[in-house]
Amino acid sequence: MMDHARYRMLISADPHSSDPELRAHRGTCAECAQYTERLLRFESRLQRAVKVDIPTRAEILPFARRPARQGAKSWRSMAIAASVLLGVLVAAGIWIALPGASLAADVVAHMAGEPEAWRRTDVAVPDTALNDVLRDSGLRLSGGAGIVSYAASCAFRGHRVPHLVVQTPSGPVTVMVLVHEAASHPAQFDEQGYRGTIMPMAGHGSIAVLMRDPGGADLQRIAAQVRDAIVWTR
Amino acid sequence: MNDGVGGNQRRARFQALCQSLRPDLLRFAFWLCRDRALAEDVVQESMLRAWKAQDSLLDESAAKPWLLTIIRREYARTFERKRVPTVDVDELIAKEEPMLAAAEEQDLGEMRAALFKLPLEYREPLVLQVLLGYSTAEIARELDLSGPAVLTRLFRARNRLRAALGEDLGADREE
Repeated sequence: MMDHARYRMLISADPHSSDPELRAHRGTCAECAQYTERLLRFESRLQRAVKVDIPTRAEILPFARRPARQGAKSWRSMAIAASVLLGVLVAAGIWIALPGASLAADVVAHMAGEPEAWRRTDVAVPDTALNDVLRDSGLRLSGGAGIVSYAASCAFRGHRVPHLVVQTPSGPVTVMVLVHEAASHPAQFDEQGYRGTIMPMAGHGSIAVLMRDPGGADLQRIAAQVRDAIVWTR
Repeated sequence: MNDGVGGNQRRARFQALCQSLRPDLLRFAFWLCRDRALAEDVVQESMLRAWKAQDSLLDESAAKPWLLTIIRREYARTFERKRVPTVDVDELIAKEEPMLAAAEEQDLGEMRAALFKLPLEYREPLVLQVLLGYSTAEIARELDLSGPAVLTRLFRARNRLRAALGEDLGADREE
């Protein structure tokens, strides 16, 4: 039988633990349930705090040395610079021609720094924390979305966007509500182990829904379920 | 010629791998070193070491923990190579203020300053868990600790942070 002190020690060590013993204790102890809620609010801040902004650097690791040499430009380095510029121009052209593909790539790249996105858990973020994240984007979620185990306001393409993780029977699903990214039609993507879809939301940009190792999960159905649970408040 | 093309492809692939993992590795190094410039040097040196030792990476999906281990060793080597003078944590916080500040959320700046003040033995497992999503077993393996020791450090780390931020721990105060 787990006591309060043991529960609090273990849940403080891993606030997203899905240990059945912890769940059982939480289900029968209102004080520890409240404690968990406070802890998860703290955890949400901690998760945002550790993700300090990393300045974008022009040089490519690991082959560039710091600091850059000055005043020794050779024809060779100028030729390299020209080819890099050409590459950037070609990439920009592709980006403009394929906005859906580049949006998907940015979403997947964002996931590389989000370990919470593939954690299975049955611990929901507190409503207050979830609503704080959603409020700025002018939406809330109805109960149909499922257990929201992670909610953060993330920097994405120059805007703060809600980044949620919804627990489904097929596993954790990451949802990014992209009110600033219009999409004309649904687009599927499969990149770097992530499968997902970007769905337009009339008048409200788009929504990206993706899973890691989705197996046989019906991603379109899950995406539609999440989209339908969104209630716009403005 | 073929070797050249193959070499370029290998290099491009490795470069892409480093680029995709760089943000989190740099964040981890920053929390380890508490110095942005030093963190960048440690990551850069680690990437070069990784490039030279890439044959030891048998599974690309394990690249992140592999690189992370190299970074931890490089960080330790940095302190072996040069005697880093003892620095007041408040001075470190002032020096790294641009990285620690969070314009949109003032309390994040306070949380980051509190994290800076955590001893390494608590800061490191906490960052591994919260930033990189490591499980207790993975942290134990990386830090060469037992599972219960990791749980104790994580519990103490959060308690210290909460206390530093003025939360009333009440009966949860352990130390």
